Amino acid sequence: MGEREDVVIELKNVSYKYPATDFYALKDVSLTVRRGEVLLITGPTGAGKTTLCYVLNGLVPHFFGGVFEGEARVLGYDIRETPVGFLSTKVGLVFSDPLSQLVSATVEDEVAFGLENLGLPEEEIMKRVKEVLEYVELYKLKDRPPYTLSGGEQQAVALASVLAMDPEVYVLDEPTSNLDPIGTMRVLDLLKKLAREKRKTIIIVEHKLEEMAEIADRMIVMNEGKIIAEGTPREILTHRAEHLHELGLEAAHIPLLVQRLMKERLIDNVGEIPLTLNEGVRFFDQILSSNTLSLTSGNGGSIESKKQGIGEPIIRVENLVHVYPGGTMALKGVSMEVYRGDFLAIIGQNGSGKTTLVKHFNGLLKPTEGKVTVFGMDVEKTPTSELVKRVGYIFQDPDRQLFTRSVKDELIFGPKNIGLPKDEIEERIERVAKKLRIDHLLDRQPYSLGKGEKQRVAIASILVMDPEVIVLDEPTTGQDPRNRREIMDTMKALHEEGKTIVFITHDMNLVAEYANRCIVMSDGRILLQGSPKEVFREVETLETTRLKPPTITSLFLELSKRYPIKDTILTLEEAVRLFRRVGG
Amino acid sequence: MGYEYFPGNSLLHRLDPRTKFLIFLMIVVLTVSIADPVGIFALLVLTAILYRVAGIPGRKLRNMIVSLLPVFALFIFLNWFIVPPKGAHLLFTLFGLPITIETTMVGVTGGLRFLLFICVARLLTMTTSIAELLVALVKLKVPKEVATSLGIGFSSVAILIDKINTVREAQISRAAKVDVKNPFKKLFALIPIIVPAIYLTILRGMDVAKALESRAFTYNPAGRTMRKHIKLKTIDYAFLTVWLIFTVVVAFLRFKYGWFDYMFTIGRFL
Repeated sequence: MGEREDVVIELKNVSYKYPATDFYALKDVSLTVRRGEVLLITGPTGAGKTTLCYVLNGLVPHFFGGVFEGEARVLGYDIRETPVGFLSTKVGLVFSDPLSQLVSATVEDEVAFGLENLGLPEEEIMKRVKEVLEYVELYKLKDRPPYTLSGGEQQAVALASVLAMDPEVYVLDEPTSNLDPIGTMRVLDLLKKLAREKRKTIIIVEHKLEEMAEIADRMIVMNEGKIIAEGTPREILTHRAEHLHELGLEAAHIPLLVQRLMKERLIDNVGEIPLTLNEGVRFFDQILSSNTLSLTSGNGGSIESKKQGIGEPIIRVENLVHVYPGGTMALKGVSMEVYRGDFLAIIGQNGSGKTTLVKHFNGLLKPTEGKVTVFGMDVEKTPTSELVKRVGYIFQDPDRQLFTRSVKDELIFGPKNIGLPKDEIEERIERVAKKLRIDHLLDRQPYSLGKGEKQRVAIASILVMDPEVIVLDEPTTGQDPRNRREIMDTMKALHEEGKTIVFITHDMNLVAEYANRCIVMSDGRILLQGSPKEVFREVETLETTRLKPPTITSLFLELSKRYPIKDTILTLEEAVRLFRRVGG
Repeated sequence: MGYEYFPGNSLLHRLDPRTKFLIFLMIVVLTVSIADPVGIFALLVLTAILYRVAGIPGRKLRNMIVSLLPVFALFIFLNWFIVPPKGAHLLFTLFGLPITIETTMVGVTGGLRFLLFICVARLLTMTTSIAELLVALVKLKVPKEVATSLGIGFSSVAILIDKINTVREAQISRAAKVDVKNPFKKLFALIPIIVPAIYLTILRGMDVAKALESRAFTYNPAGRTMRKHIKLKTIDYAFLTVWLIFTVVVAFLRFKYGWFDYMFTIGRFL
């Protein structure tokens, strides 16, 4: 095969502006992708990643309209002259929000849908559907409506429905955002196999750079509509780790640590920068085993800064069982406490009962069996309108609660419902709006705001009610790493002011950095409970529920088998400090 | 509630969707022909038996009927004012308006008809998967893309209901009073739920359109495969014949001899 035929995607100086906007979402993007290549695209929110995906199957410009400049060819077809309906038989697109792309009544119908559109004979369709569903381990769910599945399962269905169509090019927009670490690896392995064995071309937008590094041949970094870096993942993740970090991206931990240590001259410049966990272990093994550096000396003082259970219990859950009307037993006897001043993380697989548990804290759900007391009030006997004054619950998707004409009205809603006087409401709005940096948006229409801004308005609308406990149900899903951190930093500030925070998350790094306590749930029960350090040490138990500690923690746990590192390292800062003490 | 399919392998599940559709139409004809509340009640009992045959738990039917009782009461109440007082059997007077057994029976009939329609329609959807229904529509000469779109619509309703549930929970968490009794206050109380619901519906529409385009729905709509096959079997013909005879006989008695009017059964006891 000649060089030319091998080119699958060719963009030349593509710029694109959505209708009714005054800025270019893509600016002068040029890109060539060859058959069988796995290309990783990353960048902060608003970088143009999703828009680029839409170009590849022609949704941009055919579906959206707007101004398209430059030239884009996919498999030789000029996308401007090719209908999306045709291009989509060659290019399979998986969207980032799994449910938004599921249109059928059952999982089986969903996977068959594209094949029916292709007009394939029935037997062929049934055969492929079965194969693909077995492959993604969803065959047993084939008769279920997709919306009743967990986020992770929905994502698997979305992927399966594209896999079944067997396209030449796969374009996947954050295909693992709802998956646990082990589920993520499974999907990435599958994609790698498609590229290696079937010579499919794969383009993935992802924030999980560390995991992607092992499967991508090449990566591009986008920012504000432009491609700002291009190279192999190893080049970019090792040599530009700091740069990625500054962009607000989740840079791979190990190269970031090594770069920091070199910058502070705590270790010498030692050639190849390690990327993966195994490389990291080998790298530090070499450094630590050489005589120049020893960790034994500096391990005197504990750097455990986050104390456990600060105050008295304010929420008490005793033998809680919850059965949903359909008969699903979501909680099977849970006992736990939330203490005043807690910064509590609740983690666990999809469907492990995390959300069901926290919905009892403000009375959205009532116990089927067992007892929940909140500030001494029995949840079963206390009206929800009383409980919500003490426990604020922040939902994942701001679109599901904003409804007024202005941000200010949105903030008035809650306090007015609990009957606060007008001047008090005004005063609170001013204070909260400033804290969340939305004071300049008070007259804007909530729906017209950006994603991050909407999320901040939704959070503010709870904070103005001044609850003592704040519950966040995966507030960071669908946000880029920078937004995630901003939300969590706000929570940290509130925590320092004396609020108690409970958050549900899939992001182990957030647990490591912010929580003082952590509860791991599995199958309706509590599996582990303790400080993040204690919890992340239980590597094997975590694995049973498909979780794993942050890479930096794994690295030092591994090294501690050979070197006297007593402390469990959770964050980059802690790791640098460890060396600083030693190196000094 | 959205489209609720209750998977199973009962006689009703195995019937051709077209058969079920026609029987549904015949029941409509029957209920319109019969005005006798006792007769309609008998049809309702028959429907309950069919629920049992389909293996649908009794509580589903019970919950459905209980939730419709206020509407049933409304039918009786409104008919007192709408139907001109007739007949001699006075029950009582309401604000000087004479209420007779006859006017009450008109209301009872209306209410029972309504109950019956809902219960039969739900039985149809609970025993017919969306895919089957779509094939039936295509067989009845509805264009494939229209039938498919209808199916997508049905599926989306369930998703939207799910989303609207979270909207409700989010607003309750902001101390919204969504459970007020006064119907006018209720209307205002529901604004915080209705507005996001409309917004989410529009978003869903956009999402579905994008997803359809991206999965080759517009590639060759007329040539798309309909996976499920349906065929009229002996049992279908048997069912249809029995129902047809029944419907014709009832209609004949009604229109030829004036049977089954409002007072047909009750009148005999007065």
